[in-house]
Order: sequence, then structure tokens, then C-alpha cells
Amino acid sequence: MSGHYAEISGLHVYYGNIHALRGIDMYADKGEIVSVVGVNGAGKSTLMWTLAGVLPYKGSIKFDGLPLPARPHETVARGVSLVPERRRLFTAMSVRENLIMGAIRRNDRDEIERDMERCFALYPVLKERLSQRSGTLSGGEQQMLAISRALMSRPRALLLDEPSLGLAPKVTEALFDTISQIRGDGVTVLMVEQNAYETMNVSDRCYVLQAGTIAMSGNSSEIMKDPRVRKAYLGD
Amino acid sequence: MFLQTLVTGLSIGAIYSLMAVGYSLIFSVLSFSNFAHGAVIMLGAYIGLALASKLGLGFALVMSGAGAGVIAMINERVAYAALRRRGAPSLYLMISAMGCSMFLENMVYATIGARFYAFPEFFGSRTVRLWGSSLSLLDLCAFVISVTAVFALHLFITRTRTGIAIRAGVNDMTMCSLMGVNTDRLISVVFFIAGAFAGVAGVFLGVRYLVYPTMGWVTNKAYIAAVIGGLGSLPGAMMGGLILGVLETLVSTYISSVMRDVFSFTALTALLICLPDGLMGAETEDKV
Ligand SMILES: Nc1ncnc2c1ncn2[C@@H]1O[C@H](COP(=O)(O)OP(=O)(O)OP(=O)(O)O)[C@@H](O)[C@H]1O
Ligand SMILES: [Mg+2]
Repeated sequence: MSGHYAEISGLHVYYGNIHALRGIDMYADKGEIVSVVGVNGAGKSTLMWTLAGVLPYKGSIKFDGLPLPARPHETVARGVSLVPERRRLFTAMSVRENLIMGAIRRNDRDEIERDMERCFALYPVLKERLSQRSGTLSGGEQQMLAISRALMSRPRALLLDEPSLGLAPKVTEALFDTISQIRGDGVTVLMVEQNAYETMNVSDRCYVLQAGTIAMSGNSSEIMKDPRVRKAYLGD
Repeated sequence: MFLQTLVTGLSIGAIYSLMAVGYSLIFSVLSFSNFAHGAVIMLGAYIGLALASKLGLGFALVMSGAGAGVIAMINERVAYAALRRRGAPSLYLMISAMGCSMFLENMVYATIGARFYAFPEFFGSRTVRLWGSSLSLLDLCAFVISVTAVFALHLFITRTRTGIAIRAGVNDMTMCSLMGVNTDRLISVVFFIAGAFAGVAGVFLGVRYLVYPTMGWVTNKAYIAAVIGGLGSLPGAMMGGLILGVLETLVSTYISSVMRDVFSFTALTALLICLPDGLMGAETEDKV
């Protein structure tokens, strides 16, 4: 096996009789931003939930040389953190409590406080809303909190499932800026998006997922030039 | 006289609260009605009974709490964990709970027997005089300990990291595990807490009434209390318990003791018609 930081091979996932992922091969190197695009129902979220350890799978997922367990709390312990589709915040709890939950595995109080400050530097609005119930935040604020919550675990790999869903173009732009910034800290990012153009712009490499299989892969800049991709995903 | 009745009512109500809080906590985490809660209360009472005469009430309370907590935890591991992991509908969990309840009661029948046991007299009929009324020391003790315990649980749930994790699990169990929480262990903690409260309630019930295999059926009152307060809300369960205890005692003192249960179930039905979410259920989207 070659030494990629994260390596997925022959990945199959089933929901009962539904064969949702049909033999996926992917890899990511340390500090890369890798994107996955695909139409509704292609299996993008399934891929993300599987990598986060929630769904059982056949095949192999290796992260930093070791197989990734299909148990969510152990996956987090290995440094993989998911921002799921539609955020899934702890809506009944305060912003602060959501951030504490992000760091629930850690015991270094001072460092946790410092990481919280780092999140506020990224998203100052969160600091103003610390004791507000997270379910009452605006969609954009919720997305900021969801990303901050995931960062509080100090992930080595961040999985983002449609982070720009429902956000205004301005906010989306800011979001992609922070994603580049997060990568700058050495975090590997795997990102799923409907928003194909922006995604390919910000990512190093891209996979096109179609009905549970990888239809195309390569450098984002090249994939963007492919006429089939332009037709199907970029609205040409 | 009224003050005396009120204190008796509050003390019975506080015992209902102890039962209701645990029942409600389990309901909010796993969304099913744990019908085995009464059996855990009963077993807690027997543990207390075995220890109380030699070691005193305080020690009996602590050991019953710990023992019933462990029993509830084992109960979850054996009877619920597999169903829960498979994502079975909550009806299955409920039926499994009924089975556990019958199993435990009949185990006690078969091994200890159907005899009624009484706790030794701890306070005799010692009373405290207050504003011209004489209040039972036992009532005061049950009330103070129960309310303190529920308040401590409230602080635990709102202030500690484990408490925050429990509330997060109530909110979204999958996301809670994605934060790095071992949810199997978290659910064990919840069952231990609920069981411990049930054990303490069992001892107080045994001291007040008697200890026998079906004494856990009184948890019907805990279900009512939890629903009055708004299922899933801890402060609600506490309020529900106190209100139910006081109302019942007033009814049996001033109207007739036969009417007591008729009254509680009528009150519950009436309340549900007017306030389907219970007292604290509506505004607190924040369960627990
Ligand atoms: N819990 C489930 N049970 C059964 N089938 C499911 C389940 N979740 C997803 N599927 C199916 O698996 C396939 C892939 O779904 P998935 O959610 O991964 O798609 P997606 O690419 O994320 O789509 P979208 O862009 O709409 O979010 C779909 O055909 C879907 O119907
Ligand atoms: Mg999706």
C-alpha cells in the first residue's frame, strides 16, 4: 500500500437491500482539501457518515496507517470529526454547551478555553451569543457553530457535508475562506458540496460521485475543465 | 392540622418525585416508558430492609441507592441494550421492560416470599413542633433528603460535563457519540442514576408503608407525576410529584381516603385534556 494519509479502498455500504456505495476508492494527503460532488442521492452523505464511524461498511478505510473503526466515539478519538448535513446542533443547548460538547473527550481545561477563543476569533458573533440556545441562531450562525464545534475536538481530518447549504453567497464565501484557513493549520478536509463551482475552486482534488461509484477524479482545476462536468454540475 | 397534612403530603410527594425523576430521565434518553422502574424500587426497599436494622437508616439509604443503581444498569445491559442498538421501536423496549418487571417480582416471590415486612421504627412517632402543629420527623426527613437529591441531580445535569453529555444525548444521541462520547457508557450512567433514586424512594416507601414484592406498583404515581410535570423535564417531574402528593393527602384527609386514587387519575386525565404537554413540558423544548 502506498502511504497516503487517508485511504479508502473497495468501500461498500448497504441500507438493508439498498446498495448505496458500490466500491469506492479514494485517498487524501495530509493538509489537502478534497471535494466530492454529485447529484442528490449519489451517496455523498452516506460516504461522510461512514467515514465518521456511524454506518457499518465493507472494504477498508485507513487513516494515518491504521484501519478506522466503525464506532463514532473511537473515530473522533482518532482525530476525525464530522460536520453533518443540516448541522445537527444540540438545538436545546446553549452555544457554549455545544462548544463544550465538541471538546467533551478532552481534559485540558486551559487549552479548551484557548480553542474557544480561537473559534471566536474566526466567528466573533458566537461570542456574543454564548448563552443563547443554539436552535434559535440564524442558519449561517448555526453553520459557524457546527464548524466550531467540530474544531473543538482538534481534528486531524475534518469532514464537511454541504457546509454552504442555505447560506447567502457572501456567507458562503467567508465559509470557504475559513476552510482554507483550517487547512493552513495542517488539517485535512474532505468536503461534500452541491455548490460545485466554489468547491472545486477551493479544493485541491475532486471526486465525482455517481450512483454510489466514483465516476471521475483528479485535480480540481482539471475536473472543472471537463465538458461533462461543466454540463452536469456547473450549469454550462 | 392543615400544616401537618401539608407536610405529610409534601413528604409523600417528594418520594413520588424521586421515582418520577428517574423514570422521566430514562424516558427522555431512550423515549420509552420503563415499566421495570417499579421493580427496581422494590429491590431497593429489600436491600434497605436487609441492612437497616443493623446499620441504621443512613447507611441503608446509601447502599440501597448504590445497589438499585447497579441493578438498573444491569437491567439495561441485559434487556434493553441489544434492542436499542438495533434501533427497535420503543414499543419493544416497553414490552421488554414489562417482562423484566414480572421476572424480578416473581424472583422475589420465589426466593424471599410474599410476606409483608416492616422496617424497624427509626423515628418512632417523634415529632417536631412548629407553629402549634406537630410534624412527623420521618416526613420532614423524607422531604428534605428527596428534595436535596433532586436538586443535586439538577445541578449535576446542568453544570457538569457528564451532565451536559447526558443532555446532548437526549437532544441527539448520534451526534453525541460523534463528539466522542461512548453512548453505551452514558446510558449506563443514566440508568445508574435513575436506579439509585428509585432505591432511595423504595426505602422511604418501605419505612412509611411496608415492603412486599408488588410494592413497586406505586410507580403508577411516578408516571402520573412525570406526566403532570411534562415528560422529560426534571423540574417538571419534581413539581408533578409534590403536587400529586399534596393533593392526594388533602383528598384523603378532608374528603375520603377511598377517593384518593380515583381523584389522582381523574386529575391526571383532566390535566392532560387542558395541558397536553404537562406543566413544564410546553415551554421547555429543553428536555431534562
Ligand atoms: N437511512 C437510509 N435508509 C435507506 N436508504 C437510504 C438511507 N439514507 C440514504 N439512503 C439512500 O442512499 C442513497 C444515497 O443517499 P445519500 O443521503 O448518501 O445521498 P446524498 O448524495 O447525500 O444526497 P443529497 O445531495 O440529497 O444530500 C439514496 O438513494 C438514499 O435514498
Ligand atoms: Mg447528502
